[in-house]
Amino acid sequence: MTLFLQAVADGLQMGLLYALVAVGLAIIWGLMEMINFAHGEFMMLGMFGAWGLSVALGWDPLVSMVPIAVLMYGGGVLVYRLLMRRVQRGEVFTQIFATVGLFFFVQNGVVALFTSDYRFVEKSLLTSLSGANLTFGGLRVGIPLLVGGLIALALFLVLYLLIDRTDFGLAMQATAEDRDAAMLVGIRPQRMYAVAWGLGTALVAVAGVILANFFSVYPQAGLSFTVLAYAIVALGGFGSILGTLLAALLVGVVQSVTAAYLPPAFKDAFVFASYILIGLFRPQGLFGRF
Amino acid sequence: MAASRPPARAGLVRSVVAAAAITVALLYPIPFEWGGYIYYETVGFLVLLTAMLGIGWNIIGGLAGQFDFGPSIFFAIGAYTAALLSIHLGWNAWLALLGAVVVSMALCAALTYPVTRLRGHYFAIATVAMWMIAQPIGATWSFINGSQGLFIPVAAGGGFVHGLLTMEFPGRGKGLGFYYLCLLLFVVILLGARAIERSKLGFYFRAVRDDQDGAEAIGIDSRLYKVIARCLMAAIFAAGGTLYGFWALAVFPDQVLEVNWNILPMMAAVVGGLGRLWGPVIGAVILIPISQLMTATLGAGPLAGRGIDLIIYGAVIMLIAGWRPNGLLSLPWAEWAARFRRRPAARPAGS
Amino acid sequence: MRILRLAAVVVVLLFVAVQLSPGARAAGPVTEVLIGELLPLTGNFASLGQQYLWAGQTVEDIVNNDYPDLQVPLGPGKGFPGLGGAKMTLVVRDDQSRGDQARALAEQLITVNKVHWLNGEGTSGNTSIIQPLVDSYGIPMSCHACASPTLTEKGFKWFWRTGPNDSTMVASVFQFLKEWPAHGGPKDLKTIALFTCDNLFCQDNRKIAADLAEKGGYKIVADLTTKTGATTLASEVQRLQSANPDVLFLVQYPAETTVFQADAKRAGFMPKVIATSNGAYSDQTWLTAQKATSGAAGWLGRDPTAIDLASKKASWKKVNEIYKKYSRGQDMGELAMREITGMLWMADTINRAKSVEPAVLAKAAAETDMKPDQMIIDYKGIKFDANRQNVLATGVVTQIGWDDEKHTIWPWDLAAQSGFKPIFPSPSWQERETRSKK
Repeated sequence: MTLFLQAVADGLQMGLLYALVAVGLAIIWGLMEMINFAHGEFMMLGMFGAWGLSVALGWDPLVSMVPIAVLMYGGGVLVYRLLMRRVQRGEVFTQIFATVGLFFFVQNGVVALFTSDYRFVEKSLLTSLSGANLTFGGLRVGIPLLVGGLIALALFLVLYLLIDRTDFGLAMQATAEDRDAAMLVGIRPQRMYAVAWGLGTALVAVAGVILANFFSVYPQAGLSFTVLAYAIVALGGFGSILGTLLAALLVGVVQSVTAAYLPPAFKDAFVFASYILIGLFRPQGLFGRF
Repeated sequence: MAASRPPARAGLVRSVVAAAAITVALLYPIPFEWGGYIYYETVGFLVLLTAMLGIGWNIIGGLAGQFDFGPSIFFAIGAYTAALLSIHLGWNAWLALLGAVVVSMALCAALTYPVTRLRGHYFAIATVAMWMIAQPIGATWSFINGSQGLFIPVAAGGGFVHGLLTMEFPGRGKGLGFYYLCLLLFVVILLGARAIERSKLGFYFRAVRDDQDGAEAIGIDSRLYKVIARCLMAAIFAAGGTLYGFWALAVFPDQVLEVNWNILPMMAAVVGGLGRLWGPVIGAVILIPISQLMTATLGAGPLAGRGIDLIIYGAVIMLIAGWRPNGLLSLPWAEWAARFRRRPAARPAGS
Repeated sequence: MRILRLAAVVVVLLFVAVQLSPGARAAGPVTEVLIGELLPLTGNFASLGQQYLWAGQTVEDIVNNDYPDLQVPLGPGKGFPGLGGAKMTLVVRDDQSRGDQARALAEQLITVNKVHWLNGEGTSGNTSIIQPLVDSYGIPMSCHACASPTLTEKGFKWFWRTGPNDSTMVASVFQFLKEWPAHGGPKDLKTIALFTCDNLFCQDNRKIAADLAEKGGYKIVADLTTKTGATTLASEVQRLQSANPDVLFLVQYPAETTVFQADAKRAGFMPKVIATSNGAYSDQTWLTAQKATSGAAGWLGRDPTAIDLASKKASWKKVNEIYKKYSRGQDMGELAMREITGMLWMADTINRAKSVEPAVLAKAAAETDMKPDQMIIDYKGIKFDANRQNVLATGVVTQIGWDDEKHTIWPWDLAAQSGFKPIFPSPSWQERETRSKK
């Protein structure tokens, strides 16, 4: 029984980290329905940013989170203005095509600058806490992961309030639902999309900064997390920020529990199988709006 | 020069272009065979293979308008089925290809029907889910030898014609042989796709794409036609996978399920023009040689190992996407040609 | 339609002409020996590919420049003396870790660039894909650091490997464990757990280890295959913990090994012995990162050479210096060492052959009998069996000490030279943390 409960606890912890990665995608894709194949690469840039600043200036990733977020916000807006805005004129599939190009460009740009070596953030608050646990009735909860998870929750809360409780958020939702109607009431769609890209990119870069405390930093690091992020946003349902959070927790738990009892190589496969199963009963995900 | 061009001339232009294209396609590898530069024949092979897969993807993505990001599972099913039939039952490659196509279509129908409940991006993730589930199966299923792969044995000897009949080219005829094999399959698939496009099936697909609810309202079973479209794609991918298996002589799960087989056919279709018959062909003809050229020049020499060729490749893709988001076939070719000849564009017959 | 008929006739005529024409042949003295380097320089295996590239560049440097005191083949003197001073040129191609690219670019290197020897691909899977192709063209090919035993067991006539394969590598580790009790080691190691990733490299190792574990009388209490690219291994660690093995045989890449270490630390999981082969243990960046936390102290694994002893060898030091010019300051890892040794052998073979004709090269390769004093690595020599596998490619077993360096612990004669007492049992996480903070 402890095996099961510990697996659930571990799964919830990882789920919060996955949520952190997925939240940026929840805005760009979940809300504004723009496909971004290069989402993981922005996360990787955040990781490299954290590592770079840690090595060059000795900044703790929890500190460098802020400047990196601001920088990547600008980056996201730039990507929208220079590329995605033009791509929007065409088919939806062109968005994938364009972001595939972005994927190659960014990943190999990092390879060119830093080589494919594995790098590690060595001195930070969270790495110094590695291995420290809180124990609740026989269950272990790792402190660094807990901190990462709390940051994820905080970001989700902020984002939820922004999207669902402010006029600005409503404007974004309106643009996503019906661009022309939104224009009729005076919303500028271009601005909404640009902000969405900026926010989404900034958030996933912050995810990268946090994850750099726990995982090796290398140019190909984006992939393992991104595929799960896509499943999470779709499972939670498009247009629902809270749905993404809950889906992330579910994914974390499914992954963890299946690895505890079934062949571990299949753990992600079971996550995706659950997606299909749930989708058969709820074709719009758990809380999808459209 | 104000006279309009009679329709017969436009038809003549078209058949000259067609004849030229056919001649090039048929004769392309010959000069390279003479010079011994077999590699270029292989590039031709890859172009045709990608074009073929792109045409297949176009059926589900371009005609039926569904987001399919996991077609590589059928490529893998095709490759593995053909390999298994060839290794364990000694089947001839063409029979194995047929077997692969049948198995692939059957599995596609079974897997796809349930998920046609999902629409749009939800469906997209379902296709990705299938791909993600296929990966550990491929890596750990001992029946297909898991991650250690299957190797297709090639009997020694055998000339060119024998090779065409068995897809086995033990000697140096590989480049030429596979080029023509792929050309044959490509032509068959192109003609098949054209037939589909012009048939009632094509209309149903486009109806589902353009307005699914409207189509349902007039009695078109959108779920059925989505499945049919995907199974046609699965058949083509299975054929491609079989060809790949005999070309590489080894089937590894991480290679046949590689992400490139998911996105490259789609990219070719998008570059050329989604939903257009020749779109994937144009796309393949552009994308493959560019990437090969860059690997050979920018990815080599003193800049090797820095991924410079891929940086440029990514930039080129972004440029094309930003400049022509509807694909290159959306360029106003006829207008340009007319301007070049300083004649007005051909007016429709009878004016 | 007439055009089509005409085209068809032309095609048939040309076709006939092609079948009758001879291929192009280069003539004249060789001034440049072209070595094809087909490597995964981007994509999943980029971190391996770049080491192979640096190794190749190092050998190119050694051959083409005069290093009078360097005791390796073609160290002194410029170029290939046997070919009148011809220089060696690498022709590098990146296959993005993809099989189709590997296949196509191999054909490019052979038929367009007309390389005389093909080195690559660097990973066993893609190397298997280009083997039939190279065999059909009949030029020599090597992948010295590719470890899959199947590469030399399928009867390809043109594939030469100087490095050991997984069978010998994993066997060394188990041999050490078998002989350890007689040399002061623990006598009660009874249970073993296998923990491997799901790709070709890890699975090859796993099968060999499972086989050797059974033969060695171990009870396999857990055999977990994990997903390559896993983001967490917490549940897997839980399972290992409840299986409670004496020995953990682990084969994972650096990224997953790091995840494992973090999860094991949280769970407080530490078996008595952690044994490994390749993967993270061969990766310089992972090894360097362990210094901050002593995370690898006590890990034992196979190495091609007694690194602690080799670094006293003048030739090793000199080659490392040259290597660092290309690797942006990174020391030679054991992967690079195997590759450099192999490529120097290749250069020596070309030199002895005094020709770049494939048949002559093959003959010179078959006649190889290289002695250990010419190598920077601890093979017993280079001599090939009928499968063109070097039978004298052995290795040592090393263990990482508290100084975070590798020390030789097997074979026993070399271990005596290194003077290192093996750490047992594998230190707990608390101990690592306390000692690393000092």
